[in-house]
Amino acid sequence: MTEQIFRETTAEPRTQSLPLAHVSLELGHLYMEDFEDGPDRLREHFARVKPWADAAHQAAAVMSGGRRARVSTCFLIDDYFTQFSSPRELVPLLLGEAKAAGLEIDYLARESACAQADGVALAAAVESRLVESPTEGSDGTRPGVREVGWLSNGQRSPASDAGEAMGRVVPWTPPSEAGARRHSIFVDVELWNEDPRRTWSCPFLAAVWQLARLGLLRHRGNPVLEPRSLRPDQTLPETWSALPPLLRLNDSAAPFAAYRTTSVLPSRFLPIEHAVRVVLSQVEADATALRQVAERATAEGIQVPADIPDRAAYVFYPGP
Amino acid sequence: MAPADSGLQPVLCGEVRTSVLRTSEALTARTAVQLLNLRPDEHVLLSERPNLRVVSPQLLTGVDCRLPAAGGSRPRAVGTVAARAVLTEGRVLQTSAFARLVPSEGSHRRAWGHYLLRPGVVEPLARHQARDVVDGFLAAAPLPGGVLNPGAVAERLLDHVLRHRLLDQRAPFKSGRTRLRWAALPAAEGAGASIERFTVAADGLRTVALRTPVADPAAVAALCEDLALHDWLLTTLLALVERSRLGSGDGEAVLAALRPLVDHLLHLWMPGARVPDGLSGVWETLEKQPGFSRQWQTLVQRIRDQVAVQTAPLSRRVLASS
Amino acid sequence: MLVFAASDKGGTGRSVTSSNVAYRRALAGDDVCYLDFDFGSPTAAAVFDVPGASRGVAAGGLHSHLQGRHTEPHRIDVWAESEHDELRYRPTGSGRLVLLPGDRDGGEFAIGKNTVRRCVNLFLHLESEFDVVVVDLSAGRSYAVDMVLEATAQPELQAVLSRWLVFHRWTHQHVIAAHGLVFGERGIVAGGVERGHDKGALRDSIRFVRAAVPDPESSLWSHVPLAQSEWMRTCDRDLTQLAAELDLGYARLLGKIPLEPVLQWREQLITDEDVLASKVAGMATRQALEELAAALVDDEAWERQ
Repeated sequence: MTEQIFRETTAEPRTQSLPLAHVSLELGHLYMEDFEDGPDRLREHFARVKPWADAAHQAAAVMSGGRRARVSTCFLIDDYFTQFSSPRELVPLLLGEAKAAGLEIDYLARESACAQADGVALAAAVESRLVESPTEGSDGTRPGVREVGWLSNGQRSPASDAGEAMGRVVPWTPPSEAGARRHSIFVDVELWNEDPRRTWSCPFLAAVWQLARLGLLRHRGNPVLEPRSLRPDQTLPETWSALPPLLRLNDSAAPFAAYRTTSVLPSRFLPIEHAVRVVLSQVEADATALRQVAERATAEGIQVPADIPDRAAYVFYPGP
Repeated sequence: MAPADSGLQPVLCGEVRTSVLRTSEALTARTAVQLLNLRPDEHVLLSERPNLRVVSPQLLTGVDCRLPAAGGSRPRAVGTVAARAVLTEGRVLQTSAFARLVPSEGSHRRAWGHYLLRPGVVEPLARHQARDVVDGFLAAAPLPGGVLNPGAVAERLLDHVLRHRLLDQRAPFKSGRTRLRWAALPAAEGAGASIERFTVAADGLRTVALRTPVADPAAVAALCEDLALHDWLLTTLLALVERSRLGSGDGEAVLAALRPLVDHLLHLWMPGARVPDGLSGVWETLEKQPGFSRQWQTLVQRIRDQVAVQTAPLSRRVLASS
Repeated sequence: MLVFAASDKGGTGRSVTSSNVAYRRALAGDDVCYLDFDFGSPTAAAVFDVPGASRGVAAGGLHSHLQGRHTEPHRIDVWAESEHDELRYRPTGSGRLVLLPGDRDGGEFAIGKNTVRRCVNLFLHLESEFDVVVVDLSAGRSYAVDMVLEATAQPELQAVLSRWLVFHRWTHQHVIAAHGLVFGERGIVAGGVERGHDKGALRDSIRFVRAAVPDPESSLWSHVPLAQSEWMRTCDRDLTQLAAELDLGYARLLGKIPLEPVLQWREQLITDEDVLASKVAGMATRQALEELAAALVDDEAWERQ
């Protein structure tokens, strides 16, 4: 059609393809309260992660069909909701404890990078790609998800809507999960609040994090959240904002993004990751990025699930 | 001869809303791109020839509802409606929502991920007559609740864009919105695009029935956006000329009323400039009957004559007093 | 221009007078839109004599639109749909007259962020299409008043001219109540300031309209005993003084509507036919409505402090 008469706003309209590992293995997710419990907490965490990390490597070897499995490891530090310690103090401690447990962290990410990285507003971009799964009767006249800041996995109870004075009494009906099997597990996820500045919710940023690890984020065709290493003469900075959003700690690491992800987390993360699945199941990912992943997978003889949430696997170890 | 009417024919349908941009000055290409940056990670399309036209990335809205039907039963359908915003010459804003109806393989709704991979496709879960759906969709009355309503999607997008803080909310003249609801069935083998009907209903509603050899809904939507733009221009110019009481009111008032038209509207007429290959036959038909351009040129000539007549004594006075 | 018609209490003739003002503006050539925001009692359509809508419309009224149940509110073209003999034909040179009714049996509803957003969209949309948008609000302190104060405080509506007409009857109680509605602790000005309005600008955009005002000098009262007419004059003087003390005086007065049986009982538009041919309505009433409609768009009347 009219494509030839359109000029793109940048000279590089092509969507860039990303190198991919087989599996992106997340070794943990650090919040201030974990840090405040001292180095013992980190030591215990990595000790618990280790056997599952080994299992993830074995699973990746099965997936790669006997060839050398490419597994990259990553770790996420919160600097979005609270800022604590400093990269100079924390990063060596973190790497030391991981190493003591026999683990190597290839990539270190800051949680705020999921909101904004290198001047690109990732969370806002992902939000603009949410396409709410419609409940039966949705004919296009109802407002979309972006107008309310919540996303659910089904139909809310109508009782939650404020009624009119002296209006007809609407009988209560329960909320329901879309595609539920007999009974519903209804989840309503807060994506952000404004007080007055917009703050993205933890599950929403975690969903952005999953999309980044699955190689499905682009900014006008260009990769985002590209890993950077410190130069040999560079030391770790004093402030989190001075640290690259995604820091490469191991020069021989497999690519950051992967066909599948595995996250090993304490069980308190289960509700968050359930919410992540609710978000991921309603994201219209960049079509070209999806196609590129599929083409690479085919070329490598690897199966990748069509649905994005099905590309993420989890291990929840007991404990807080 | 049109192909036999079977339930398997893909139907394209959509609606275009057209409004003046509520801003005192037309936007430049740069600000227009900012305005239509609806998906920050995607490109806004910009074209400056033959006129400035900026197109937003496409957004999706999920639907699970009934398809309209003139006579038969209304089948349930699930999928996504695509929508985009288009700004012409930084002055006229259009939002366009459209879908391609593609029969589903099963009769049950599938996991949502299935539909997310088919942007702009709505899948009927039961057999239906394509013609019946088109007729139901184009019936002039407001679409009943629970029936696929791309117009509502377009309207919400229009409200959303019009509230952007780049806009000072000062339109140069008062004007209404128009709605153009369209549906397209495949053209006969080897035939070009044709228009089966174009109706002007009350309250700003127009309906268009098409036959097209093109199955790309975005291309057919582009044609309909072009039709809607010119229909809106004509509608708005007619209304404003009537309000100016051209030929009856006092000269300076008429001039003041006509001035914004000269400044903001008259240069926008360019029918068919953006129409994709294979669809241009539609404009040729419309130019013959009812003759859009003919009416436009007549109006423009009247306005130009008035402006000339009204300004002549003014300039004489100015000359005399200097 | 957005015009908000408010009143302290019921029975001030707010709806019928503001409808008449809308009608007069349309006759003067403006494109006019009338919104029924009297959510507890959506009956504005009755004033315009639109069949089937006198208690609101069955689907797509303002109640369901503002609550997000319907994208486009139902519109009634008064010239085309009214059953009133005088309204059925649009007079030459007149503007459009469009009514946005409420939902039949609609009631007051709570206001949330999304309701306000829809309200802003609606005002912006109508303001770009019509010269005058009259918003008839529920009496007293209501959700409707809260919502429009909140909506007009939004940045998008800063460029749009808003004017308030506060209707009250010419009685001691009504004068005090009107003062409370506007200047009271929980009044329009205080509520507006709380929502981000500039106090001075908001005050200056409010004018009072005295309704059902008996004129002691009128020929109607020429046969009453002297003592009674003296008493009437005294009352009128006292009220005038009270109004002045409460800042409801001349400077903030936009119009006076005489006591008029047609307005009180029939609650309909007063057409020239009513005044000139059938003579059921008084010339003075027609004159007052015409003056009010003119004053509404007369910037000088709004510059008085």
